[in-house]
Amino acid sequence: MAAWSCRFILQRGIRLISLQAAPESPVKVLSSIRTVKTTTWFEENLTEDNQEYMRKTIAEDYLKQTAEKLNPLKDEPWQRNEWTEGSRRVGLVAVKLGMAPIWTKTGERHVATLLQVQDCHILKHLTKEQYDGRTAALLVGGKNVSPFHRTEKEMEIFRDAGVPPKQKVTVFRVSDNALIKPGTPLYAAHFRPGQYVDVTAKSIGKGFQGVMKRWGFKGQPASHGQTKTHRRPGASGPGGDPAKVFKGKKMPGRMGNTFITAFGLKIWRVNTKHNVLYVNGSVPGHRNCLVKIRDTILPSRTSTLLSPPFPTYFTEEEGDLDEDLYDENMFVHTEPSLTLT
Amino acid sequence: MAACRKGLDRVLFSLSLLRAHNFHNERFLSTSLCRLAAENSSEPPKFTPPPRPVIIDKTQAAASLRKFLSPEFVPPRQRTVPFKFSIERQDMIRRRKVLDIPEFYVGSILAVIMADPNASGKTHRFVGICIKRSGKGLGATFVLRNIIENQGVEICYELYSPRIQKIEVLKLEKRLDDDLMYLRDALPEYSKVDPDMKPVHVSPTGEVPVNKTKVRMRPKPWSKRWERPKFNIKGIRFDLCLTPEQMEHAQKWAQPWQEYDMLKEYDTTKLEEEIFSEVQKEMSK
Repeated sequence: MAAWSCRFILQRGIRLISLQAAPESPVKVLSSIRTVKTTTWFEENLTEDNQEYMRKTIAEDYLKQTAEKLNPLKDEPWQRNEWTEGSRRVGLVAVKLGMAPIWTKTGERHVATLLQVQDCHILKHLTKEQYDGRTAALLVGGKNVSPFHRTEKEMEIFRDAGVPPKQKVTVFRVSDNALIKPGTPLYAAHFRPGQYVDVTAKSIGKGFQGVMKRWGFKGQPASHGQTKTHRRPGASGPGGDPAKVFKGKKMPGRMGNTFITAFGLKIWRVNTKHNVLYVNGSVPGHRNCLVKIRDTILPSRTSTLLSPPFPTYFTEEEGDLDEDLYDENMFVHTEPSLTLT
Repeated sequence: MAACRKGLDRVLFSLSLLRAHNFHNERFLSTSLCRLAAENSSEPPKFTPPPRPVIIDKTQAAASLRKFLSPEFVPPRQRTVPFKFSIERQDMIRRRKVLDIPEFYVGSILAVIMADPNASGKTHRFVGICIKRSGKGLGATFVLRNIIENQGVEICYELYSPRIQKIEVLKLEKRLDDDLMYLRDALPEYSKVDPDMKPVHVSPTGEVPVNKTKVRMRPKPWSKRWERPKFNIKGIRFDLCLTPEQMEHAQKWAQPWQEYDMLKEYDTTKLEEEIFSEVQKEMSK
């Protein structure tokens, strides 16, 4: 939409020049020329009718592609192995919706983050040699987007997998028995209530911040003779002998906008109809950002992973799942009110 | 008893016959005379019990018939996808099917029974005036305030908490403001509610009555400067506690241009209509 309006301004600007040749009109034209960059290939090369046609067909194509992939077991799946202790499964790419409270059967209140799995597909299998020489890896993408603003190299991956272009593509290291054929869709039921996950996302950027906000320094008192010293870092290191400030000293600087992992978050509930995960506590990133979820690597929590769907959840095999899977301790709103003893 | 009633029936029947006869020769007989005659002739007069009064129990809160959408259903204005609110709404409706959450407003007097492991009998009943409703979606809350043993007590309840056993509206009314947090700084008589209060009947249709009391405040300092224009409070007698100079000084913080800011407009009427019909449909299932 932005592109459209900008183009309109551009045309008007040119018309102004041609008609009036007024002295102030070149300024407008200059400003509009810069916005040409936001237009896509469609707008530059196609007529309006053709653009509309292309957009329609692309949308239909996406739907067809995702629908075809719904039954991956029918067309020769890769060899499947049994779950063993210590295997690493693939994870998911999900959209952070927001937070909501949940209650346990003992009446305690927790807050959970809602993560929705939208069009999550396996894109590519990287063998041990192709990846880092240690483990195999799977490329997973989430959330369909426009094919513009993707390089040819990226588009090739999507084309090979036979899926629409994805907004976020991540790599999951997996063990050799957990490989999945590219093009397989992944669902929220890949994770089950009661298990623990790690969630990685880019945190909200805070800009350039001082030491009190960035590192939690104490600062100085507000009064008692302080001159221009209230939120400053104070001394920055040893004096005479090393005669330098050590590298990595906590100082003011850019805060946030880095990848952060929240470890060991419990899954309270899984909605299999809308593919929503209810994950305990907060998750890095802003609303509607794309996060990466995997089985937790915390050694104390790995015991919660008992015979999960392996290598992933296939709709054909366990098609009779309930719409909502709840953790055993979670209060379900259809139950009567709690009476505590 | 049956015999008595039969006799009575006979008397009445003869009376009606006589009356019908009366119409023809009105000149000769009066009805009163005729009645006397009839009574004398058949049976001595018997006590006829008055019809049984129909007792309308006004203490029972009737289900509201007016169109009311609880404010926590209306999503706040932000960039969250509407799907998040709809999935939350499903849970809210599920809970509302189990627990009857009545219509109430800020200023209504409520009684809440809540499961409490530390209370004797494991439940706790608190009566108070609702001074605030806040939160959207499943996390909606309301605050009840009362004065117990000369001590102000406020409890913040979660509307959808499974520990809540019952919410009772003792007196349904609105006040001049949508937020009564200033009762903390008012004289205690305004937030004092009798814990054994009986429910007051309000007609289930029509407008909700507005209580137009204006409260008298304690001397300053208050928890907030309630005279400032941003609170826009109508329920305080400012003339008793502040001088006209002070009131004029408070207008220094007025931002009269805000109401013309079109970017801050958030018209929810259409959205409310949609959500209301959705909730009605789901609740009737």
